[in-house]
Amino acid sequence: MPDLSVTLGRLSFKNPILVASGTFGYAREMAGVVDFAKLGGIIPKTVTRQPRIGNPPPRTVETPSGMLNAIGLDNDGIDHFLAHHVPYLRALPTAIIANIAGKTEAEFIEMAAMMGLAEGLEGLELNLSCPNVSGGVDFATDPEVTRRVVAGVRSVCPLPLIAKLTPNVTNIVPIAQAAADAGADAVSLINTFVGMAIDWKRRRPILGNVTGGLSGPAIKPLALRLVWQVARNVRIPIIGIGGISNIDDVMEFLIAGASAVQIGTANFFDPTVSTRIVDQLPSALETLKSGSVVEVVGTLSA
Amino acid sequence: MSPPASFRQVTAQVLANITLARDTFLIRLKALEIAAAIRPGQFVMIRLPGRTDPLLGRPFALYDTVLDERNQPFAIDVVYLVVGKVTGLLAQLRENDTTEIWGPLGNGFPEPLGREHVALVAGGIGQTPFLAHIRELLGQRGYGGDKARRRVERVSLYYGVRTADLAAGVDDFQNAGATVHLASNDGSLGFHGFVTDLLDRHANPEHLYGCGPEPMLHALAQLAHRKGIPCHLSLETPMACGVGICFSCVTPVKTSDGWDYRRVCVDGPIFDAQALHWRE
Ligand SMILES: Cc1cc2nc3c(=O)[nH]c(=O)nc-3n(C[C@H](O)[C@H](O)[C@H](O)COP(=O)(O)OP(=O)(O)OC[C@H]3O[C@@H](n4cnc5c(N)ncnc54)[C@H](O)[C@@H]3O)c2cc1C
Ligand SMILES: Cc1cc2nc3c(=O)[nH]c(=O)nc-3n(C[C@H](O)[C@H](O)[C@H](O)COP(=O)(O)O)c2cc1C
Ligand code: FES
Repeated sequence: MPDLSVTLGRLSFKNPILVASGTFGYAREMAGVVDFAKLGGIIPKTVTRQPRIGNPPPRTVETPSGMLNAIGLDNDGIDHFLAHHVPYLRALPTAIIANIAGKTEAEFIEMAAMMGLAEGLEGLELNLSCPNVSGGVDFATDPEVTRRVVAGVRSVCPLPLIAKLTPNVTNIVPIAQAAADAGADAVSLINTFVGMAIDWKRRRPILGNVTGGLSGPAIKPLALRLVWQVARNVRIPIIGIGGISNIDDVMEFLIAGASAVQIGTANFFDPTVSTRIVDQLPSALETLKSGSVVEVVGTLSA
Repeated sequence: MSPPASFRQVTAQVLANITLARDTFLIRLKALEIAAAIRPGQFVMIRLPGRTDPLLGRPFALYDTVLDERNQPFAIDVVYLVVGKVTGLLAQLRENDTTEIWGPLGNGFPEPLGREHVALVAGGIGQTPFLAHIRELLGQRGYGGDKARRRVERVSLYYGVRTADLAAGVDDFQNAGATVHLASNDGSLGFHGFVTDLLDRHANPEHLYGCGPEPMLHALAQLAHRKGIPCHLSLETPMACGVGICFSCVTPVKTSDGWDYRRVCVDGPIFDAQALHWRE
């Protein structure tokens, strides 16, 4: 049996298959169908400081081999998360990484401190790709802001940190570098690509929010390239995300340089995909005559 | 609070796929565990395997379970109207083709308040959840492992369509023992007008259940409120996952301090009409 375990900075997972924030609810929805013990980890939906009602429906629309979403961070806020979801999540036999989004740098730091006090979390993922309400900018479009948020969080929160970056930038390398410099244990690449869908007969956008984030198989080649680009240029462990739907996709991301992956949209159209992929991992490694996941990470010959 | 998830994902063989009415088909899918567990008002997600466009599953109500010679459920029937990508492709499936399905999903119909007479009100393709519901109410069949038990004396189905050739399954509803009242927008079948107007002219039932397009459901909720009749509505909100993990299927529901969005796939699809926060 090959060694499936992976270590990313201070984080370690029993295998590299995690499920992505916003695509696995708060895990309890999947309790009957997914054997959580098999997963490398679970990242529940993003929490914010205050409850957020989210965007008006329609919040998602299918597009060719993908979907657009504009959920709008619908959640009940961090107090509810800590009181109601964490006690359930920490009892699960897998690593739990909380995911937070602040409206401001100060809010990120405040929430990180609160999460740091909670028991049973393996790490904290910073959703730096959500629009900053004041300026309408993503935190992770600016290396300096990214550096400040990660460093600020690091100073108040003992948990291992993952910076989740947006692909909606000209060059992702300096941003990943800033996260690394500020002490992030890993970067998650990537969140969704901004897109839109139009009903031309009514001359209206289909989504209530006009624009939304594109995810699913359609974005896999784009995500792979970003993982590869960061892997070549920045010394930081990478969690690859984007359209991963089967074992072949996972192997491609590992070889491009990701040490672990997150499965997102595929959970929607194939609810048992995550554990099925875990089951298939040993034989894929054997195909490469590899005794471990670690051995194949970043082995693209180009 | 959402009920605990206990759905199954299976590759289901197509046993039949037949025309019921214009653009309306019945597909029979072999799925033992789902057939054994599913209850009236619950739904399944159906996805076409081996392709990424269309990508997502689509929600479809249980029409009825299918029993084998030992009276054990082994398959489910779903009745669908062709409106777009997935339903268009479903209509092309043949016996022995496969689909990927997961279920049972959602809450199912609650017990009626009253033992005498309940009315079911359907518009468009909203009749589909009512066949199993009628059979359960009249004690013809048990679902989800329950024994058959008669819950009410009489069930009326009020069924409105745009035009006559879209009416699907009327025989099934009659054979199940419901009194069927038909209405059509163009007068080509039954009462000429809205099904809710037809209902309004008849004696009050003790409980109302509705499924159909939102304007119809809204009219039904208002009628139920005016007459003081308990009323439950099954919503047809578009869904991406069907299992509660994407938060795309939300509908506004009244709360103690206003309203909040609730996921139709796990907190519904059936809601108390008076709990829904209707936007004008
Ligand atoms: C609980 C539940 C039970 C259901 N039961 C049944 C049933 O028993 N039988 C049945 O026939 N149907 C049922 N439906 C409806 C069914 O799910 C849809 O008709 C189906 O999803 C259509 O899929 P499609 O790929 O064919 O259509 P699509 O190609 O997805 O589109 C269908 C139509 O909707 C429009 N549309 C698509 N997405 C959006 C959006 N986000 N916002 C606005 N418009 C959009 C399209 O333009 C098109 O006109 C049920 C729905 C729910 C929620
Ligand atoms: C409906 C939906 C909701 C999402 N919500 C969140 C979220 O709350 N926080 C977050 O960090 N990412 C969120 N994401 C992004 C995913 O975690 C992931 O980064 C992205 O979808 C790309 O991966 P995929 O193609 O495998 O889905 C969401 C994605 C989708 C489709
Ligand atoms: S359809 Fe995904 S949460 Fe309801």
